[in-house]
Amino acid sequence: MPRDTSVVTPERFAEGLTYAEFLAQATVNADKFEHYHRTSPLTADDLAFFAEAVARPDGLAKIMAIAEAWCGDVYRELPTVARIAEASGAELRIFLREQNPDIMDEFLSNEGQSRAIPVVVFYRRDHRYLTHFTERAAVAHQDLADAQAAVTADLQLPAGTKLGTAPQDQRQAFIAALIARIEPRLPEWQRAAIQEMRSLLATALKTTEAAAGARVTA
Amino acid sequence: MSVSLPVVYTIRGCDACVKLLDKWQAEGMAFEERRVETSQVLMDEARRYGAMVPIVVWPDGRVEQGFEGHISCFII
Repeated sequence: MPRDTSVVTPERFAEGLTYAEFLAQATVNADKFEHYHRTSPLTADDLAFFAEAVARPDGLAKIMAIAEAWCGDVYRELPTVARIAEASGAELRIFLREQNPDIMDEFLSNEGQSRAIPVVVFYRRDHRYLTHFTERAAVAHQDLADAQAAVTADLQLPAGTKLGTAPQDQRQAFIAALIARIEPRLPEWQRAAIQEMRSLLATALKTTEAAAGARVTA
Repeated sequence: MSVSLPVVYTIRGCDACVKLLDKWQAEGMAFEERRVETSQVLMDEARRYGAMVPIVVWPDGRVEQGFEGHISCFII
């Protein structure tokens, strides 16, 4: 991602939707956004971490999210990001993926092939990029891979069969079995997403502080 | 549900949905598209048939999800 020439300038950032505006324009899943906002698994320690990140002189100040209301990963994770912003004082702005292809293009995943959402991008007060989180935590990707392998074995399909390659006459059974395996894991995915965002942010802040310290020492 | 045309549940911007619709349009096939992101009624209707768009409900009642390995979108 060409961060020095990002299309997300401070002016563009300010044009993004607030969380309230995002909810107001959403035509689906209002109940799910409300549920996941009310039941977000953020702990007091998580909230203290993000508050401390914002309190640093050169710390976190802005959060950008790329989202669409129909997406399950978005309605499971964006309410938590909103809670983080509300509690820490970071400014959250949300951009709809389909209306902002140039922003999405800066945050493609899967070696540039996927427009996975949500994308959550963290910035400093002067709008310098810190880090970003995409779609879901690593443990969730592993769970999906494990579940696909298990369902493939259960249905006696060729090894390596995936969601998109399961034979169409068995795909309904494949997807139903897959969902049954991953649904109990969703709360863990939510927790892992928070942990991953914390870890990414802690590393980014530490790295830049070390660089600043090196400049001072030099 | 009684239908005479295949019904396809889609989402704007879904890669697999675009590919499926392109193919059907190139073949001159008649179908009814229902965009699930446009209303909760359509979203709930689609979820009765599956978890991943595109979802095709054929006139004989068969249901198919996804399209030829292209990147689909979960709606749950």
